[in-house]
Amino acid sequence: MSVESPGRYVGGEKNQIIKEDVLKELRERGECTAVRTAFCFPDVYEIGMSNLALQILYKLLNSEDYTSCERVFSPWHDMDRKMRENDIPLYSLETKSPLYEFDVVAFTLGYEMAFANVLQMLELGKIPLKSCDRKETDPIIVCGGPVAYNIEPMSDFFDAVFMGEGEELDLEFIQEIKKYKDGGKKDRQAMLREVAKIEGMYVPSLYEPEYSPEGKFIALHPIDDTVPSKITKRIIKDLDSVLYPTAPVVPNNNIVHDRAYLELFRGCIRGCRFCQAGYITRPVREKSADTLLAQGKEIEHNTGYDELGMLSLSTSDYTELAKLTDGLLCAFDGRHTSLSLPSLRIDNFALDLMEKASSTRKTGLTFAPEAGTQRLRDVINKGINEENILSALRLAFMGGWSTVKLYFMLGLPTETMDDVRGIAELAKKIEDLYYDVAREMGVKPRRPEITVSTSMFIPKPFTAFQWEKQNTMEEFLEKQACLRECLKKVRSVRYIWHGVETSVWEGILARGDRRLNDVILDGYKAGSLFDAWDDNFNYERWMGILASHGLSWEMYARGYECGDVLPWDHISVGVSRNFFLKERERAYREEITPNCREKCSACGANCFKTGVCYETR
Amino acid sequence: MRQDDRAAEMTRQQHLTQYVCRARFARKGALSFIGHLDLMKVFERAIRRAELPILYTQGYNPRPMLVFALPLGVGIDTTGDYVDAAMAVPVNAEEFMAKVNPELPQDLEVLSCISIDEPKRSLMSVVTYAEYEIEAPGITEPALRLFARDEILMEKKNKKGKIVSTDIRPLMVKPFEDSTADKVHVLVSAGSVSNLRPDIFIRAVCIHEGYDPDKASEAVITRTALFGGEYPDIEGIEGLV
Ligand code: SF4
Repeated sequence: MSVESPGRYVGGEKNQIIKEDVLKELRERGECTAVRTAFCFPDVYEIGMSNLALQILYKLLNSEDYTSCERVFSPWHDMDRKMRENDIPLYSLETKSPLYEFDVVAFTLGYEMAFANVLQMLELGKIPLKSCDRKETDPIIVCGGPVAYNIEPMSDFFDAVFMGEGEELDLEFIQEIKKYKDGGKKDRQAMLREVAKIEGMYVPSLYEPEYSPEGKFIALHPIDDTVPSKITKRIIKDLDSVLYPTAPVVPNNNIVHDRAYLELFRGCIRGCRFCQAGYITRPVREKSADTLLAQGKEIEHNTGYDELGMLSLSTSDYTELAKLTDGLLCAFDGRHTSLSLPSLRIDNFALDLMEKASSTRKTGLTFAPEAGTQRLRDVINKGINEENILSALRLAFMGGWSTVKLYFMLGLPTETMDDVRGIAELAKKIEDLYYDVAREMGVKPRRPEITVSTSMFIPKPFTAFQWEKQNTMEEFLEKQACLRECLKKVRSVRYIWHGVETSVWEGILARGDRRLNDVILDGYKAGSLFDAWDDNFNYERWMGILASHGLSWEMYARGYECGDVLPWDHISVGVSRNFFLKERERAYREEITPNCREKCSACGANCFKTGVCYETR
Repeated sequence: MRQDDRAAEMTRQQHLTQYVCRARFARKGALSFIGHLDLMKVFERAIRRAELPILYTQGYNPRPMLVFALPLGVGIDTTGDYVDAAMAVPVNAEEFMAKVNPELPQDLEVLSCISIDEPKRSLMSVVTYAEYEIEAPGITEPALRLFARDEILMEKKNKKGKIVSTDIRPLMVKPFEDSTADKVHVLVSAGSVSNLRPDIFIRAVCIHEGYDPDKASEAVITRTALFGGEYPDIEGIEGLV
């Protein structure tokens, strides 16, 4: 096969699951009674296989008799071409079944830039792209994941959308599909209506949008009163008792994050006002260290990986971190298994832990102050101040570290040029600190490596900044240029920045409405694919197509008024709109909001009756 | 770590007593689509899953001490390759196979194994010849014509990136009698001193004998054996310790 990395198209990995029932159907053309799901990741194998949600749901959907699950990834350009030329339909890795043969085709959506790839996979899988064109025997196309919370720009292509955590919802949905399959797949519309009755399931075709004559989004109406007007996400209450894949599929070829994972907790206590991930996963629910220790040992044994990653939005906030890491290190003694501990808050404990446990030495320390001045850090509620950063770095430099990565955002609400310059000033202070520490310790300083990385702020749904205006391309570029100029004066700094164009486009998609469906379809037809890969992204083409539909950047990025109905208002993540509004006002007043463990701010997520909301403070 | 770095590493560690399990393995199907570095990782992880008393390399990033006889290119099946696994205590061959085989992904299998106490030579250094079966429509006739030539110049990039011509004829030892019209079976030089990759051989058949490159790109290549020694006195890898 003359395609790049053919290993990504063949499956056959350790711990891959192929159900007997399915094999029987394929061998004898007998009837498979289980609901067959193709779990699709709209990017290449090496990225998809690094995704924990995929591993979890793959295991879950293969855990019961009445359901089976196989994996499908987006074929890279070369394979895409070959498949079209030779009329080979997109197939699953496990049994090489074409996509159209499955009962359910489920996508996990982690980033908007993968939208075009969803269409590619459907088309190559020979499935009608639009929900309204599908027949009774076509698969049911569903999606979940962070991006699914505002699926409006892709609402035409999905039959149903999962709001919340798959482990809580998926089997209930599959049972509904099982009824449909057992009944001979007679009435698709009726089935979708039944699906819409499941709490947390959103069926886009049962709603109609309304726009003002000026082209402003006004509301999304249920087509009749049997359809729920509000869909609230579903979450797992007790993470200790939920299934976790302790024998995940181990790829044969090198993938992006080639390690095993433990999930420490979901949610985040911190409440950074720009952070969608933090809000949509509220409230914080932890796994106990005992559960994690047992799972960690099993995973290490079942995979043979020599690295175990600790996953959560903020490792240091895990309440039993010391117990967990001590236990794991003790269990892995002599087996050279390291722990990867991302987003650790640097203190003595953390430095000691990294020394003992991890492979982070290679990559250095990372900090995410996000903004350059204290004023702006207060605006975004980033509970970290300059003193925290510098005292942590003093410890690190004394311990012999010399590589530091700093992450910032440009274009945050209320940002001024002083805030932008503040980033360079902070970098300069860090550089000075390094030399000071070297002098104090009487050692000859090496040259420190300080990396400053900036991304563009993108206002996201379900955050305190969901109403904000996004910076224009010109504003972004001006800020970037200013920072670059200032950073030239700091000798040991390397500056990395993310493309402005992708951020502008992502900003449109993130807060988009249903009118973008046709834009995305046209963009795909015009050749857009793998937009998350910088050299594939064609900004001019996307903006041209947007304009040809009478839409513009301003309509989506200029922001919303507080009184406006938002395109995603029919979805609830538990955190109330009122709370977001209050947080927005506090942001303008530069007021900090305490984290969930210091004080509950009554965000609304206690409606799920679990987690940090019910801890004794 | 690169293969030769690892070999060097092993030499450095010779103060450690090593008990080597030398395994002959086969790969096909899905496993043939991965590169050599990936194959090494697949073996490392399988041996870790098998919980054998494997030794680890020293240094910052310790890895199970495995040495492969000869890298296997993407797309090449094998029925006769070798890997040495260095153990801290003696592990008998049956135990090695019984523990490792269930841990290997499908399409990869240990066929046989011998235990060697304290080998004197690195596995890589003993390989001098490899046997390949190349299956493609009508390839045998032009391939045999190629063997009839005295000199076969092939261009390749040297280490500095300059294109140089080398004669590959001395690396082509002989075709075997059992070749059929669509399957040619050959013995060629292999190993760290002089090595002829099967894809280069096929390309030579195309360039010098006019074989269709499209057919060539569909060729199924299987490495069927590795040997040490000096032709015609070649010997199996098992005994070369
Ligand atoms: S209800 Fe209170 S404790 Fe619970 S997530 Fe919201 S702010 Fe945090």
